[in-house]
Amino acid sequence: METPVLKVANLSKSIKNKEIIKNISFQLNKGEVLGFLGPNGAGKSTTLRMLVGLSRPSAGTVSICGHAIDDDYVQAMAHVGCIIEGPDLYEYLSGYKNLELLGAMSQHVTKTAIDDAIALVGMEKRIHDKVSIYSMGMKQRIGLAQALIHQPDLLILDEPTNGLDPQGIHEFREIVKSLAKDTGISVLISSHLISEVQLMCDRVCIINQGMLVRDGAVTEMLSTGEIVWVVNNPCQGQRILNEQFQLDARITTQNELIAAIDLEILPKINAALIAAGLELQTVAANNTTLEELFLSLTNQKTIH
Amino acid sequence: MLNLIRNEVTKLLLKKKLFLIIGLLIIFITLLSYGQQYTYEKNIDRFENLSGAGSYDWKSLATQRLDDLEKRLDSPYIPDDGIASIDIEIKQLRYFIDNDINPITPSAAKFSVDFVEQGISLLIPLIIVILAADLVSGEFSTGTIKVLLTRAVPRWKILLSKLIALLLMTTLVVLIMGLLAILISYLFFGQWGFDEPVATGFRLIDGQLNADAVILVSRFEYTLLIYSLTWYVAIVIAALTLLISIIVDNTVTAIGVLMAALIGGQFLQFFLSDWPIVKFFFVTNLDLIRYLTGSYQPIPGMSLNFSIITLGIWGLLALLIGFQIFNRKDVLV
Repeated sequence: METPVLKVANLSKSIKNKEIIKNISFQLNKGEVLGFLGPNGAGKSTTLRMLVGLSRPSAGTVSICGHAIDDDYVQAMAHVGCIIEGPDLYEYLSGYKNLELLGAMSQHVTKTAIDDAIALVGMEKRIHDKVSIYSMGMKQRIGLAQALIHQPDLLILDEPTNGLDPQGIHEFREIVKSLAKDTGISVLISSHLISEVQLMCDRVCIINQGMLVRDGAVTEMLSTGEIVWVVNNPCQGQRILNEQFQLDARITTQNELIAAIDLEILPKINAALIAAGLELQTVAANNTTLEELFLSLTNQKTIH
Repeated sequence: MLNLIRNEVTKLLLKKKLFLIIGLLIIFITLLSYGQQYTYEKNIDRFENLSGAGSYDWKSLATQRLDDLEKRLDSPYIPDDGIASIDIEIKQLRYFIDNDINPITPSAAKFSVDFVEQGISLLIPLIIVILAADLVSGEFSTGTIKVLLTRAVPRWKILLSKLIALLLMTTLVVLIMGLLAILISYLFFGQWGFDEPVATGFRLIDGQLNADAVILVSRFEYTLLIYSLTWYVAIVIAALTLLISIIVDNTVTAIGVLMAALIGGQFLQFFLSDWPIVKFFFVTNLDLIRYLTGSYQPIPGMSLNFSIITLGIWGLLALLIGFQIFNRKDVLV
């Protein structure tokens, strides 16, 4: 088995005797895009800060490409690039100078690597302007560039689309997606935007109150195995499902008929409904959106 | 490591604070030079008007000063400590007159020493604080500390590069200050004054001025000596500022804390003779130059060596504590 790009084991953090991150474990394999989802205050940012050495864990281990972050810090950090609630750039320098300065801190960042990163984020035209005159979108792009100049294996993005307009969010998402596809870089992205995570990520970790409450592939989590029928007489349909197929179906307020079924027998059910004289308007699979799943898992009224 | 230092120096230079400091220095030096020239000319005028003589004779002026001081000693209102310092000045003047050394004509070299003499306890530390205060706290408030620390470089190396860059810039500032003082005051006085003999080596033995070990050095050597002491004080202040900058993430608070210490320390000077513990506070030891010029109130236990060691300990402790804190700090910005 290949070494996972990121391995987090039993990560915990307490501040003033209050445990805010409780025993989080997960891993990220090569080429995966993992989403980190959670309500405000869940501990996403705190966790991500512990992954890159900005915060000290109270317990647990973090390894990046097999290098532990506490024992082998330099090696571990050489494999990761990150944006933590950024963008954090030197406003009195140009975009290029920022990248040059930060590149000089790593061992083998060449001018070509910097130029490639600039081209990737599409900032060639304005790269020599002072950062103080950049728009938010431009700053975020430079932020992404600084995470990429040393060619890391892991990209950690903590709320990278903060403050971007919908166009900016779309462009950022496209850059990250094509980056993951072309270079095989693994990405860990935390976001409030559930739709973004749903569109970009292969797997998702849902965090709530410092604990990992769900960890799995996006498609798995979303398919609930239910089928929705819209028919002209839902009550009759319900009876047919009960008598002929021993299925408990429910009728929603929008007069939809929903039942959890084995997909193999769907054609038989459809045939039975038609044979009974019902008009079948639509038959669809009932996928929860990630948002519904998220809200049900993280149902809370107060901040803990 | 060189790259890191180069980065930090670039940041310090491009932040343009250096130009602000040089601007401030130019203003102060010009004002003080002008002030000194003005007072000197006024004194000559006054003397010439009083004595009716046509030209200026320093020996007479010095003798005049000597008479004033001796008269003041006769006054019944001087406290005991005051007597000691007046006595010292009298002895010094007697020495200058007997050995034909002119104590008061202004020259560029003399001014450069006078300038740091005046500034070493407040102005110069303030300038260093302005230079150093946002070295770490600035990165926290703008958030750039996050991109700085998430590199493949251990934290202590990053802080060390900042420290070295700070020491380099501090040295540069002291150098520029000396050059500006000499050049600008030359414009006013027209005299370099590097060859003038300076008597130094006055020692305080049991509260009495002792002139046995006094030697004459050229003003050039004396200036170098004084500026070395100034540099040492600047370095210690820089180290302390770095520590405060690390502890409080906020630049304004850092400057406030240090200014409070510097100004508060000026008040503490009054308690030096009655409250022994005050002599261990770093602010009361900042004025190293007074030990060389011989014009100060003697406090038991305080000597040049004592002050240098005390400042050194404060500086080293500040660095040790600072590094520890920086290494363990959680970055929450």
